[in-house]
Amino acid sequence: MKPRQGLGQVSPAFEAEALASLDTLYRAALRLTRVPADAEDLVQETFLKAFRSADRFEPGTNLRAWLFTILHNTARNRVRDRARDTVAIDSEIVDRAADAPPPAGARAGAAETPETLLLRETLAPELQAAIDALPDAFRQAIWLRDVEEFSYAEIAQMLSIPIGTVMSRISRGRHLLFERLKDLRPANA
Amino acid sequence: MLKCDALDPLVTPFIDGELPVADRRAVEDHLFACAPCHSRIAAEQAVRDLIRAQRAALCTRPAPDALHARCAELTRRPASDEAGRPHVAPSHLAPSYRAGARWPTRLAPYALAASLVLGVGGAFLYQATDRSARLLAAELTADHLKCFAMNSALGTHQAPAAVERSMASTFDWRMHLPDDPASAGLELVGARPCLYAEGKIAHIMYRHDGHPVSLFMLPKTARAEELIEVLGHEASIWCVNNRTFVLVSREPRRVVQRMASFVQASMR
Repeated sequence: MKPRQGLGQVSPAFEAEALASLDTLYRAALRLTRVPADAEDLVQETFLKAFRSADRFEPGTNLRAWLFTILHNTARNRVRDRARDTVAIDSEIVDRAADAPPPAGARAGAAETPETLLLRETLAPELQAAIDALPDAFRQAIWLRDVEEFSYAEIAQMLSIPIGTVMSRISRGRHLLFERLKDLRPANA
Repeated sequence: MLKCDALDPLVTPFIDGELPVADRRAVEDHLFACAPCHSRIAAEQAVRDLIRAQRAALCTRPAPDALHARCAELTRRPASDEAGRPHVAPSHLAPSYRAGARWPTRLAPYALAASLVLGVGGAFLYQATDRSARLLAAELTADHLKCFAMNSALGTHQAPAAVERSMASTFDWRMHLPDDPASAGLELVGARPCLYAEGKIAHIMYRHDGHPVSLFMLPKTARAEELIEVLGHEASIWCVNNRTFVLVSREPRRVVQRMASFVQASMR
């Protein structure tokens, strides 16, 4: 077999810095695949690609964002390869949903104080479950923004969608989460 | 006055505090007059605040150790293997690595430096690093990268008094941070007990020209003074009163020397 070029060029500093993002990439991969074994495969493939194309990384730019972009590209390609419609993101449906007016519940609650409702009683496991139950596109946008704290532009690059779509997915995802978390509270059951 | 549907593209950046002032005021004016939109924004804001408040709890699950080891190994498999490169241990690290020969031989020192802090943590730190200042520097450099990478810490700014309080309560280290860090081009970011050494090491973070600088303090440890280049970083080591200090940064050698002398001279 012809030896591959590229891996030999990985500098120790690049490697160390890349590997420092492994846990956070794994958690994002878990949100993408929902299956630990698939998440592990996805992360390993991400690092293999990153090390192979390390010379294409521009020093001084955000390495973590670059790795997340590879992770999401790899995940998208896998979905395409396997033609698994259940996991595939149907952008059109998602974006139509994002354009739809917010559900009536949001307007009915003018007298509520949502901050109090949510913050006082929601536990991390409930929140995690609600995030995991979101449609893929919203879950990814919310996770990248509110947990990983990437910029809209970085997320747009990772998900290969326009910035406006990133924002509307975040908005819609937050709204869906609010509705779900609110329904969990006994007072609102 | 904005109409409700004109608000849509502004909602997310408004909640995230990323709108220019003029747009922000326009949204606020609209929200003042429009209860449904006010309610919508309050709901989304509440979710954002909740996730950010629970962020640490959402991020507790680490990747399995085996995955760390596999990824660290990717750049150093034999040519016949999937990833295609013969294993060559960097010569300057090899001796100390061999000295701690209990580690699996397939893991090269750099992989150790980058990943073992998660897997093996404090045990390693206090055994193998007793023997090698270079390995200590490599570990702390990996911690430095990790702490800054995982905490988006560069954007934060903690008050010196808060850092001093936390050092006193966590490490029984009653210290006084340098009074005028700006004179050495340094800006305080904050402090944390470094998780990767089981919280036994103090980690104070600074910025220098926007780049991360870490100052580690190892209690009850004596070391010779040294300046070591490792993992593309410079690590300056010195010792005061049975406490070892290590300053880690990617800045040029002379800059690191200057920062270290400044901290050494002005920290009480």
